[in-house]
Amino acid sequence: MIEWFHPGFVYLFGAFLVPLLKGKVKQAYVLLLPAIAFVILLLISKGVFGEGPFWQFSFMGYELTLGRIDPLSMVFAYIFVIASFCMFLYAIHIKEDWQHVAALLYIGSTLGVVFAGDLITLFFFWEIMAWASLFIVWYGKTKAASGAGFRYIMVHSFGGVCLLAGILIHLHNGGSIAFDSFTWGIGSEYLGVYLIFLAFIINAAVPPLGAWLADAYPEASVTGAVFLTAFTTKSAIYVLIRGFPGVEILIWLGAIMALYGVVFAVLENDIRRLLAYHIISQVGYMVAGVGMGVFGMAAGNMAINGATAHAFCHILYKAVLFMGMGAVIEVTGRRKLTELGGIYKYMPITFWLYMIGAFSISGFPLFNGFISKTMVVQASAMWGYASIWLMLELASVGTFLHTGLKLPWGVWFARDTPVCEAREPPWNMLAAMGIAAFLCTLLGVYPAILYNMLPYTVHYEPYAPGHVIAMSQLLVFTFIAFWLLRDKLHGTPTITLDTDWFYRIPGKKVIKFCEGPLMATAKYMDNRLMGMAVFFRGIPPKSQTVVETRIDNAFHERVPALLNFQNIYNKIKEDKVREISYNVIYILIAMILLLIFVLFGVVTKL
Amino acid sequence: MKITMRVLFVLLYISIFATILAGILAILFLHLHPHFWWENIPVFSAVYGFVGCVFIIVASKALGHHWLQKEEDYYEKR
Repeated sequence: MIEWFHPGFVYLFGAFLVPLLKGKVKQAYVLLLPAIAFVILLLISKGVFGEGPFWQFSFMGYELTLGRIDPLSMVFAYIFVIASFCMFLYAIHIKEDWQHVAALLYIGSTLGVVFAGDLITLFFFWEIMAWASLFIVWYGKTKAASGAGFRYIMVHSFGGVCLLAGILIHLHNGGSIAFDSFTWGIGSEYLGVYLIFLAFIINAAVPPLGAWLADAYPEASVTGAVFLTAFTTKSAIYVLIRGFPGVEILIWLGAIMALYGVVFAVLENDIRRLLAYHIISQVGYMVAGVGMGVFGMAAGNMAINGATAHAFCHILYKAVLFMGMGAVIEVTGRRKLTELGGIYKYMPITFWLYMIGAFSISGFPLFNGFISKTMVVQASAMWGYASIWLMLELASVGTFLHTGLKLPWGVWFARDTPVCEAREPPWNMLAAMGIAAFLCTLLGVYPAILYNMLPYTVHYEPYAPGHVIAMSQLLVFTFIAFWLLRDKLHGTPTITLDTDWFYRIPGKKVIKFCEGPLMATAKYMDNRLMGMAVFFRGIPPKSQTVVETRIDNAFHERVPALLNFQNIYNKIKEDKVREISYNVIYILIAMILLLIFVLFGVVTKL
Repeated sequence: MKITMRVLFVLLYISIFATILAGILAILFLHLHPHFWWENIPVFSAVYGFVGCVFIIVASKALGHHWLQKEEDYYEKR
């Protein structure tokens, strides 16, 4: 009997060897890690290790489970590992080791979330996921990436705190540490559950809490953005399926979300931001699916299967799409629709691979989006939710319009003469796109491969004539409308306001207020208080200033120096990343201490 | 380029004709299991796709033009 090994730890531990390796060995190594994880998953599926759960530890009176194995966790683990292989192949040529390290930690912690059987383990990996992905954003190495990274981690720290507070309140109210579906209801006794729910939907980018996604993802590097597309939002779908299946509000949030992404995609000029809005739109289908996933009903099972299958397919085609647009940015250095056009003749292979992703996301029959998206739509029909059905179908129209028509039209055609020179991207980028595009097509043609992995038995015939005909009509007539209105769809050199406005503009005002009037008031108070202290205690003024200077130094220089993220970012930019590891270690120590404090608090309280 | 465009348009006309015809034939001869009344209209998806697409473009553009779209240095200026 072989001891079980956590596939996530292959990435987490594997990450630290990357900086020690060089050249071709390093390239082979980052591809080897997903391969090892994949073999472990296969062995788990074959039952070599037994049934599970695995890696259970008793920790301060709590039973922690790092390895919960069931069909749901396995299907998500499979797609995360498969996608990570393609993504590393796409990124294999980059020189910055620490970008690989961040990606490995990000993927490893996502697998940690997927296999977590209890809430404390979940929180632990949840936080690593947020911080590792922050570094991927920062590796965009621009001023915009710096700002977007700060806003990204601000939102995710808020989500993390909500999760932690929610878990503590949930435990305090007598809830179980086990991570299963929560009892949902109305009342103050559900406060903990609400907070956990809030943390989950922040990561799923549900509006109005989802602006971080379209803000941060397009600012990452060409390769980094591809990693970001898959893990945070889809692991959020996983935890929602685990924790909140059949919570009705998710149906409405999901349907609104599907359309929200579409509307913003019309207005967007940045090619990867347009795709990022379509992540929000597509995740909307999954969120709606989770909301319809009531246990033990045919329509509920269909909805959960649909959400899971759509997450699986979405990761593949979204990777192709981001890889395609990344390739355009890589070879042209341009990222705006207004600055692109007419370059088809330079990069036809990239174009056609991209189009496979575009056909998939649009739900063309024979591509994987068709076999998964229609399951969620079918579930809404089985439930009889007419308005949800209509909203989801409308979102399908918008998806094809932007990802399948407007974006490739604007980037590769639209002008008679090319705007600039271009060429095909390096072989590894094409190969990665090729593999992912092949998988999109394979699943579209043989849906049974995916259906056999889903949590419930599937009774769904995607290629029933009714589905195929309806979808074909929808797509053909969307194309006609696009063709007639294509002149209205040129990009405009603008940005689009999203809900991040609420922390970008008033946030700046708050900082200005703090730096200005608040500081002046504080200084004035400080002086008066010190004056009073001098008066009452008779301290000679000189020693008083010495004490004050020291305290000031401690708070204004030393503490910020330890926690100065701007500094960390600057060092990344200057490639002095090794120095950062010290700061990262400080942060890790602080986080571990915090965790221990929290656990002590929990234990002594109960 | 001209020839490819012509081929594409021929394909488009064929697919318009084929999808509409298939929709009508399916309603007449196949036992579909519609969940909503409009699924019995043979060209519903075609109409919905066309109208929906126009609606999305017009409505989003209006939203953007009057409210959401700003100049590129909007955040830097404030």
